[in-house]
Amino acid sequence: MQTEATLPQSDVSELDLVKRCQAGDTEAFDELVTRYRTRVFGMIYNMVHSEQDAWDLAQESFLKAWKSIGRFRGQSSFYTWIYRIVMNVTIDWLRKKKIKGGDAEFDDAIQLREIDPASKTVPKTEALPHQAMERDEIRARIEQAIGQLSPEHRAVILMKEIDDMQYHEIAEALGCSIGTVMSRLFYARKKLQNLLRDVYENV
Amino acid sequence: MKTFEEKWTAWLDDQLSGPELSEFEASLPDKAAAQAEKAEAKKLGELLKRELSAHPLKNEEFFSHQLRERIVHENGEQGRERARRARASGWWTIPRLLWAGTGSLAVFLICTILVMHRERPAEESQYLTQILNARVDPVVSPNASVSIFEVKQDRATVLWTEGLQSLPADYAAK
Repeated sequence: MQTEATLPQSDVSELDLVKRCQAGDTEAFDELVTRYRTRVFGMIYNMVHSEQDAWDLAQESFLKAWKSIGRFRGQSSFYTWIYRIVMNVTIDWLRKKKIKGGDAEFDDAIQLREIDPASKTVPKTEALPHQAMERDEIRARIEQAIGQLSPEHRAVILMKEIDDMQYHEIAEALGCSIGTVMSRLFYARKKLQNLLRDVYENV
Repeated sequence: MKTFEEKWTAWLDDQLSGPELSEFEASLPDKAAAQAEKAEAKKLGELLKRELSAHPLKNEEFFSHQLRERIVHENGEQGRERARRARASGWWTIPRLLWAGTGSLAVFLICTILVMHRERPAEESQYLTQILNARVDPVVSPNASVSIFEVKQDRATVLWTEGLQSLPADYAAK
């Protein structure tokens, strides 16, 4: 385990911010939020595929983090710690949503209706209209495929492929073993390969 | 012992090395097909990264502002909750209850001692003792009888004599 003295400068600074938060300093927490809000929002968005829900869940996650910051002992990075909260909040929300709406959440028609073809979900580049439409279509296909994974499988594949997190970091964030993470990755990849083969082969 | 799934995942992510890698690759029935699948997995990863990693948070400052407001509200709620709990628990915290119990016991003991001290039977009077010890002369008073009635709560003793002709001179009350 790393000690405070051996941590790199940025982590020491983060620890300092955490300590200030633990003393009730909301400005320090604001600084931590500024550092991680985009990554947290992006991760949640990829899990739930709705900007409004992702916004609310990100807010909920940060609020929970503020309430429980006193219990953060610095044994992992703040990022891993907050990811654990984010994943708990999001997976819990997805499970509840699935219970309420049955399997309709993954229905193709609903998925396509939720995605506005004109929405600027991809960084704006000067793409031609047909190119933009094509990208939106690809993105819709990806979101649809990810939507067919269980919340736990979604979390694992997104943390690995999008955030480049290590197995042990994912395991820590999800509160499971490294073996479970690797096993979930195996099945999530297999399923996405089957669902998206034509997409990545033709892009 | 790693399962096949774990080894496969580690192999796809280039996390196997040394004898573990060669052992795993040797165990693959069709190495060419496995390599093709590995390449596919890499393509899938690249596709996900390219298409999903750039979803910006719009109105970042408003996000932080809204969160700050919620935290302020939450802190206020927590403060009120603490105050409410403090009021609800009131004076009767556990240490205070202990002190109250000890104090009550002490007061009870003091009162008991005082009451017992007060209720201690009074010493018998000198005259009563004298009369009780007196021997009535059967010649002078053949039918004499002496009865004593004592009422403790009134602290009174009644000496009832019958058939007594006279008290001996040396026992006469002075």
